[in-house]
Amino acid sequence: MSGTAINVLYFAQVAEQTQRRQESWPLAEPISGADWLNLLEQRYPQLAPTKRLKLAVNQFHVPLSTVINPGDEVAVFEPVTGG
Amino acid sequence: MVVVQHEDFDTAALTRQLRERTAGQAGAVVTFTGYVRDYQHDTPTQSLFLEHYPGMCEREIETICETARQRWDVAEILAVHRYGELHHKEQIVFIAVASAHRGEAFQACEYVIDALKTRAPFWKRETLADGRRFWVEQRESDASKTDQWNTETHHDTKDTAP
Repeated sequence: MSGTAINVLYFAQVAEQTQRRQESWPLAEPISGADWLNLLEQRYPQLAPTKRLKLAVNQFHVPLSTVINPGDEVAVFEPVTGG
Repeated sequence: MVVVQHEDFDTAALTRQLRERTAGQAGAVVTFTGYVRDYQHDTPTQSLFLEHYPGMCEREIETICETARQRWDVAEILAVHRYGELHHKEQIVFIAVASAHRGEAFQACEYVIDALKTRAPFWKRETLADGRRFWVEQRESDASKTDQWNTETHHDTKDTAP
């Protein structure tokens, strides 16, 4: 993973709505999860409101206040429903 | 031990193996098995598709088990979870906890399945017998059960009989 992008993973409903499971997203500077979700909503208006979505950064659940750094793996999904 | 797989599992064999590994230490083994059931009472479920996040699933469930091991005196915890297309009435998940005492085994087992439901990255998509297909939404009751484990004052169950 280069230092100028994040690797974004989409799961389940979110993957259906974006019609992709993965994409490289250019990111040069750190950004908060909440701010990044706003960018995501601009690119994919069909995901609105993105505030309900959950984020995992490098495979750990994180709050939206978490800072996303270039090179991170960022997963976006609806609340989980396993078990 | 945590296993995430598509294949079905044999609860009797898993329980026997856990018993053999913890024999002498564990006075109690508590197990939980989750199955594909009818989601809506008016229309039967035909199948359930479980999407998952490989890697994070295993790690997250392992973290949940580690928390349980720190919180309760348990000899071993086994968690098996399936993914992919599962048919009506099939097994989805199996949790087995071996402990010296039943109280801790019951509590640790319930904690693991409750926490797994709100933290392990799986997503269920139902297909009903009439062809309707939809993603399941997380239940408010599941979220609040997990919150309860995080906030409740824990009463240790130091019972002496298994």
